[in-house]
Amino acid sequence: MTRLMTTTALALSLAAGAAQAQVTLTLWTESASAPEGVFAREFSEMDNGITIDVREIRFDDLVADTLRAFATRTNPDLIAIDNPDHAAFSSRGAFLDITDKVAASDVIDADAIFPGPRSSLSWEGRMFGLPRASNTIALYYNKDLMAAAGLDPDSPPSTWDEFLEAARALTDPANDVYGVAFSARASEEGTFQFLPWAQMAGGSFEEINAEGVADALVLWKTLLDEGLASPDTLTRGQWDSTGTFNGGNAAMAISGPWELGRMAADAEFDWGVTLLPVKEEGGPRASALGDFNLAIFANTQHPEEAFAFLEYYQSQVERVWPEFTRLPSVAGVDLAPTGNERIDAAAAVFAEQLESARNRGPHPEWPRISRAIQNAFQSVLTGAAEPQAALDTARAEIDRILN
Amino acid sequence: MSNAWTNRLLFVIALVLAGIYLFPLYWMYVTSLKTQSSIFAVPPEFLPGVPQWQNYALIWDVANIPRYMWNSLVIATGVTAFTLIFGAGAAYVLARYRNHWIDIALFLVLMLQVLPPSLMVTPIFVGFASVGLLDYPRFGAILAISAKTMPFFIILCRAAFMTVPRELEEAALVDGNSRAGAFFMIVLPLARNGILVAALLIFMQGFGEYVYSASLIADNRLHPASIGMTNFLQPNVVNWNAIMAFAATYVTPIVAAFVLLQRQIVNGLTAGALK
Amino acid sequence: MSRVLRSLRDGIGFDTLLIIIALSYLFVFAGLPLIYNVIISFQRVDVFSLGTLWHPNVGFENYERVFNDPLARRVLINTLIFTLGSVAMQFTLGFAAALFFHQRFPGATWFRGLFLAGWIMPGLVVGVLWNWLLSGDFGVINHVLRSLGLIDSAIFWRSDTAWSLYAVMMANVWYGMPFNMILLSVGLAAIPDDLYEAAELDGANAWQRFWTITLPMMRSTIGAVLALGVIFTLQQFDLFAAITQGGPAGSSTVAQYWSWELSFREFDFGRGAVISVTMIIVVLFVSLIYVRSTRAETRL
Repeated sequence: MTRLMTTTALALSLAAGAAQAQVTLTLWTESASAPEGVFAREFSEMDNGITIDVREIRFDDLVADTLRAFATRTNPDLIAIDNPDHAAFSSRGAFLDITDKVAASDVIDADAIFPGPRSSLSWEGRMFGLPRASNTIALYYNKDLMAAAGLDPDSPPSTWDEFLEAARALTDPANDVYGVAFSARASEEGTFQFLPWAQMAGGSFEEINAEGVADALVLWKTLLDEGLASPDTLTRGQWDSTGTFNGGNAAMAISGPWELGRMAADAEFDWGVTLLPVKEEGGPRASALGDFNLAIFANTQHPEEAFAFLEYYQSQVERVWPEFTRLPSVAGVDLAPTGNERIDAAAAVFAEQLESARNRGPHPEWPRISRAIQNAFQSVLTGAAEPQAALDTARAEIDRILN
Repeated sequence: MSNAWTNRLLFVIALVLAGIYLFPLYWMYVTSLKTQSSIFAVPPEFLPGVPQWQNYALIWDVANIPRYMWNSLVIATGVTAFTLIFGAGAAYVLARYRNHWIDIALFLVLMLQVLPPSLMVTPIFVGFASVGLLDYPRFGAILAISAKTMPFFIILCRAAFMTVPRELEEAALVDGNSRAGAFFMIVLPLARNGILVAALLIFMQGFGEYVYSASLIADNRLHPASIGMTNFLQPNVVNWNAIMAFAATYVTPIVAAFVLLQRQIVNGLTAGALK
Repeated sequence: MSRVLRSLRDGIGFDTLLIIIALSYLFVFAGLPLIYNVIISFQRVDVFSLGTLWHPNVGFENYERVFNDPLARRVLINTLIFTLGSVAMQFTLGFAAALFFHQRFPGATWFRGLFLAGWIMPGLVVGVLWNWLLSGDFGVINHVLRSLGLIDSAIFWRSDTAWSLYAVMMANVWYGMPFNMILLSVGLAAIPDDLYEAAELDGANAWQRFWTITLPMMRSTIGAVLALGVIFTLQQFDLFAAITQGGPAGSSTVAQYWSWELSFREFDFGRGAVISVTMIIVVLFVSLIYVRSTRAETRL
């Protein structure tokens, strides 16, 4: 059935190409002001016979709306989708396999794409899209508060022990200052924040109960139990948590490059960014890999035109950092200076952190895996379970999903 | 205690209660004028430091507010009209009789409102897609939202019809009116206050509806304000101030209109057309 | 033919027509989706077979999985507490407000109008506002309680497992109070003044008048308000999404939120539907009680 439709679609698109008719593609994305929205507008204005209609969908509704649309064949031609959700679609043939098109393309070099993003859009060795950009998390720190607490603002914590000590030194309940702000809420954001700590301790999503991962949970629990982080960490997202850092109510914050614009505008103190602390000196680094991928739906009537847009996107990729404060997912792109010293320094740190960023999945049932991980850290942090026991439960659940 | 003093005391109590109740609204306005990080200030800032009026400039700049408001108005009007037309008659019948069939009908009306829209929207979407209703998205949204508001409307209106003395209706029939005539000429006008209150509540629900409009209307140009607002909600980055400015912009005119209208309606109610 | 026409204009046909129109409309746009939910609760529904009507039948497997889930008990209790607590508080506060504004002091109707502002606020905005008000660190509620000396240290309404469900309930009571108040106001206004005057002449005090006149006369309104309150509370979704996401550790997860999570976070539409069906059965009972209560209604 799917093959029949693809064949029909191909025949139709060839006919359309022959007639040189104006082709209209649709693109669904979380924001028309994101790079793909802006590039789509430029692409439409070019004299290439292709127009792209952009539809904005709230991030929370994006997957559900797309599922419904795909089920009723009212889906768009192109979509920008959060990278952990990509596999659900590519594994079931909803997205177009562009491996051969990429191989034949002069613009897109598959080997230049970093391994993390490449893994998120691959399924069984084939490519089903292009990364829009990448992001990851690192440690923000308030240099003024560090100096005031007698810590050296130029050597931020680099191991878990140093991090915990710094959090203790920086916490100042009398002045409403927490040592650190992060997010451990029961959503994908929580998984995004927890997995790097599990990975630095030697675990992975497949082996979430590996030896050492419990130490990561103990560290998180210590932060909450000793009042080094707000109890609302359990229900607060990264954006609102970092908001308290910007206001001077947390001395460190774990979040990503999307914070830079607001922080540069609002923070009335000196701040810097450093790599996530590793478990022990010399230990493995890890971080989360975020941001979206672009994909073409397999049932599009205009695969050539849609791919032409991906090529255009790739040709503009060096604009992704200076214009949108997002990190490119391909090697060999220099981050042009933005004119803000702190942001440029942070960019270098995030670019380095990105090298150790690992993809979530790819797995078509990633949300269920993620849910098991969330249950583990939430039950430990609320005192309902012991670290190792919670991780063993999560492992059993994840094994059921993987097999 | 004299009457004037009682009145003054009641007035002060009302003022205090309204002040407490409306605090979240105040918080919406004040947040719309804050900077992004001062939302999270400790202790909370009850006044915005320097009012950030550019939050309002931003939403007018980025979002086509008049278009969103117009779409909200179209949807709310359509929903109110559909609900009124289909619901008022049913409410009347349900108030007029007292037997098993009426019990069953009442029961069905309530039952059909059980699930939240976020759970109903999938089958509705699939159904609409298969009959082509998605090509008329605002109309489709109006149909779906009306089905959600109708049980509420029927229950409300039924109570209103219950207050119409049966003798008046029977007198009209004796005077040579048909059943339809008596309904339109006597019963409806007598129950108009209750129906109007119900219709207004429905209008407001239609104005703020999110779930059905978001899923059924694919074209951004046809989206109501409740969806326009969420364009400032992005993964990782949320412009709360803009969202609050947007909400303030579209809620204020309705609050104002409603406060004024409600006064007249309730005046009409308490004056009592029936007594 | 003309007999049918005449009946439509002037007989039982007129009434039947009115009710059939409304019920058919509801059947198509609300009934069919409900039936779809019941059907898929017995099926294995893959993400991509959502559009088709026939899926592999799995009997009661979805039901077993849901009811054996460690979260199920918690969700059941939470849903009961949330629904009964919300309805009771909304109703009590709404009734008190309706009685208060029924005193005809200057500005009473105007103030009552202001209270309705809550009703028209979009759910998303109400959720976000309460999320901030309830915040442990920068929340206004803690700030006020502390300034008044009522608490010593911050209460983490959203993140303390003992409080999280009640945090959402507080917001929901705020949200639902105006509709209780306005409906009860309309009911109060419909009671003829002479009844009270007669009772006053008989020497009944305010308390007695409330129990012997107000409550019995408002029986049908109260029934409607309570039934709608239960249904609206069961539909509440935005506040959970904005304030606690059902957390921490499931401490504020209720049926409708869990159902949505299973369907749209885990893409398990079958299990999501099981919870919907359970909710339908609960509302079935609520509706039955309401319908029975209307039996005793009196018409003026």
